[in-house]
Amino acid sequence: MSVYPQHFVDPIINKSLQKEKAHELSHIPIKPALNVSTDSIFYGELKQKFTNYILKEGNSALARELLTKTFEIIKRTQIERLHLAKGDKGSIITDAETLLINAIENTRPLLHLSAIKRGGVKYQVPIPLTEKKSYFLAMKWILEAAREKERKVSLPEKLAWEILDAACGQGRVVKRKDDLHRLCESNRAYAHYRWS
Amino acid sequence: MRVPTAVYAARGRQAQNEKDVPFQEILPLRLKNTVSGKADSGSDVACLQEMGVLFACLKDNEFVEKYCHKEISQFKNCYKFYMDRKLEAKKTVNQGIVTPGNNLNYKQLNKYLRRFPNPV
Repeated sequence: MSVYPQHFVDPIINKSLQKEKAHELSHIPIKPALNVSTDSIFYGELKQKFTNYILKEGNSALARELLTKTFEIIKRTQIERLHLAKGDKGSIITDAETLLINAIENTRPLLHLSAIKRGGVKYQVPIPLTEKKSYFLAMKWILEAAREKERKVSLPEKLAWEILDAACGQGRVVKRKDDLHRLCESNRAYAHYRWS
Repeated sequence: MRVPTAVYAARGRQAQNEKDVPFQEILPLRLKNTVSGKADSGSDVACLQEMGVLFACLKDNEFVEKYCHKEISQFKNCYKFYMDRKLEAKKTVNQGIVTPGNNLNYKQLNKYLRRFPNPV
């Protein structure tokens, strides 16, 4: 829910797009931009969302720092791998942001289960997910996996490993997604029960 | 001396006096001036066939998604199309513009019925 009425338009962050649409939007009310959104090349929408999910108790400086550290560890590991690799060096991605995006894309679920009561019995019914929700779940799962660690290991370290694992389609998070899909498959007989 | 019931049976049972059983109108004996919107909400079940195809493909390939690109995109498109259409339908219902015709949604019907209410 937004405090702005529905006829308010989302702001355009990209500067070149602003010039293009300036005439078109000159008499349309526009929502204010978010505090964090910039036209910088370092801005990534998914990255921003991920920082917000890392955030605890409103300490956004710490959340940003943790993600930066994670990216540093990812970059260092990947460069080490690049130097150690013999032969095919082109296939190793060293860009941490690309790896984060790959990891999220690899762990996005297609369906989820929702309990629906029919005749006194609760059935687990597979239901398709919207794109937004699937991105949310992927990021949540990666973070949950990262937070499940020993006390001596720091969050950036564990998060970096989870991201690296998920980016090449292995690891616990990808397994969690597959498990959910398996569960959906075994409950497919109930797919026609849905909110009606 | 008891009279056997068979003697009365020939004449049949006497009708009850109507004054003993006054008519009670428990629910109003006229139709309401509104219809409920329940039927218009429709069923939430969509893309069952696509889901079945997707499950078959995933099961064949041991849940590795990269072998089922076609099925996955079909399933996603189907759901997106369904959601878009639902949103569109909701918008048209909320506009509530009354047009002549027989295929009216509940808001339009309610507008009509408000103009021609049942006589009290």
